[in-house]
Amino acid sequence: MAYVSVKGGADAIANAKELVEFYRLRKRTQPLEIKQIQSQFRLAIDKVMGEGSLYAPEYAALALKQMEGDVLESAFVLRAYRATLQRRYYSDIISTREMFILRKISSSFREIPGGQVLGPTRDYTQRLIDSTKYNESPEEIDQFLKEFDGKIDREKLVDVNTYNKVIDLLKAEGLLMPAEKSYDKTVKDVTLEAIKFPAPRSVTLQMLARAESGGLMALAYSSMRGFGDGHGTIGELRYGAVKVRITDTKGRKRYIGSINVTECEMITKINTTKESKIPYFAIGYGLVFGQNETKAICMSILERGIRSGKKENPSNNQEFVLYHTEGVEAMGFTNHLKLPHYVTFQSGLNNVRESVKRNQEETEDKMKVYKELAKQQQQ
Amino acid sequence: MEKTDYILINCCLNELQQLVTSLENNYSFQIVKEPSLGLTMIRAEDSVESQEFYLGEALTTDCEVSFGDTTGYGICLGDEPVRAYCIASIDALMQSNLEIPELQNFLTEQEKKISMAEAVEYNQIQRTRVDFKMMEQA
Repeated sequence: MAYVSVKGGADAIANAKELVEFYRLRKRTQPLEIKQIQSQFRLAIDKVMGEGSLYAPEYAALALKQMEGDVLESAFVLRAYRATLQRRYYSDIISTREMFILRKISSSFREIPGGQVLGPTRDYTQRLIDSTKYNESPEEIDQFLKEFDGKIDREKLVDVNTYNKVIDLLKAEGLLMPAEKSYDKTVKDVTLEAIKFPAPRSVTLQMLARAESGGLMALAYSSMRGFGDGHGTIGELRYGAVKVRITDTKGRKRYIGSINVTECEMITKINTTKESKIPYFAIGYGLVFGQNETKAICMSILERGIRSGKKENPSNNQEFVLYHTEGVEAMGFTNHLKLPHYVTFQSGLNNVRESVKRNQEETEDKMKVYKELAKQQQQ
Repeated sequence: MEKTDYILINCCLNELQQLVTSLENNYSFQIVKEPSLGLTMIRAEDSVESQEFYLGEALTTDCEVSFGDTTGYGICLGDEPVRAYCIASIDALMQSNLEIPELQNFLTEQEKKISMAEAVEYNQIQRTRVDFKMMEQA
């Protein structure tokens, strides 16, 4: 059923827009400062940037403020904003090997290069509501930061280091799946050209990186529960800052800043196949903006599943996964259901009414015949 | 080049602005292109097969400033018009190969500050390093 164009209602629409603002502001609380949102809603901002496919923490914070904390709507706003700007540069390929590590863990190996660094995580803490945050004061924040700062000795600082990857250990042992020669390695940009399926792997990776976190989790979870390629093990999950470099107008390499990313390498065991009699491990790859570990993990599971070629499960089907985890499109389509469908609905309504009427007439006709027959039998 | 960019991108904005304001007294800069917002597409690759893909875009500010015959380019991530202007001005100056002790001192000083801040953060992060032991090893 399609929707139709309608006209009218401009005043009501303008008033509705005003009313939304009223409900946002009616309690007359202190206006949220962008810097506050940026620093204290770090993870929400990371989600907005990832799903909005635009790394711009300040603007993601602004979008969150405007959309009253709705992550999907904020991502929508960010994508729309992105469409107004000119793309001026393409970066060099970022290197996660030179990442300034904030966190890196492996669930496959206990000992990894540089050790396991938990970093900023709530993984090992109970999810109990913290009532002390209810009335947090600036003095308490200062006190916390002072004490935190005092926990290291500035005279005994160890040097900043970068670390080799866990998968390099598997690679060195020859246990990783040999690179597939047959797949399409073309680099396409889904923001510039329409997707056709089967799409190259670059499209899978780009679309998963900008997909909606919840959608990815739902499909990856289905895969883990048995409706897909199975339960992998995290070879390495790392989160940190990577350098972004471009080439300027004069052809010089320039450093233009760093972005935070989460990377996940998911190890899955591949058994022997017709082509190979030796079992080996394959990697599913996940890389997303900011600290969004659930998304990076799910991306790696789905990426591996899509490459498995076993399309009988939805989570392994490239078209199914990529189209249905595209959050902005999915939200747009879902919300279009609220738009006027009057003409098409009326047409459907007329059809149903006609059928009901026809059915009633037919029933009445039959009843007449039955009654006539019954009358005749009685006589 | 990368080292200078790294310092100018990560240094304190107020201090950078003060430096460039001071330099403007002695050197005549002309804005060729006002700071403006654009996008940089971030290219990435998977770590096993090196499959390249586009991760997403990043908001970028760039600016062009001339000093004499040379044009300097200031490019940085984010909405940073002042920083982009300052980087472009310093880039133009540095290409002229003039000896500017004020600038050199600034870069040396800021590099130390940035390195210290990074080392402190890194050491705080390293406090969360764990050595998981198997139950039978406990």
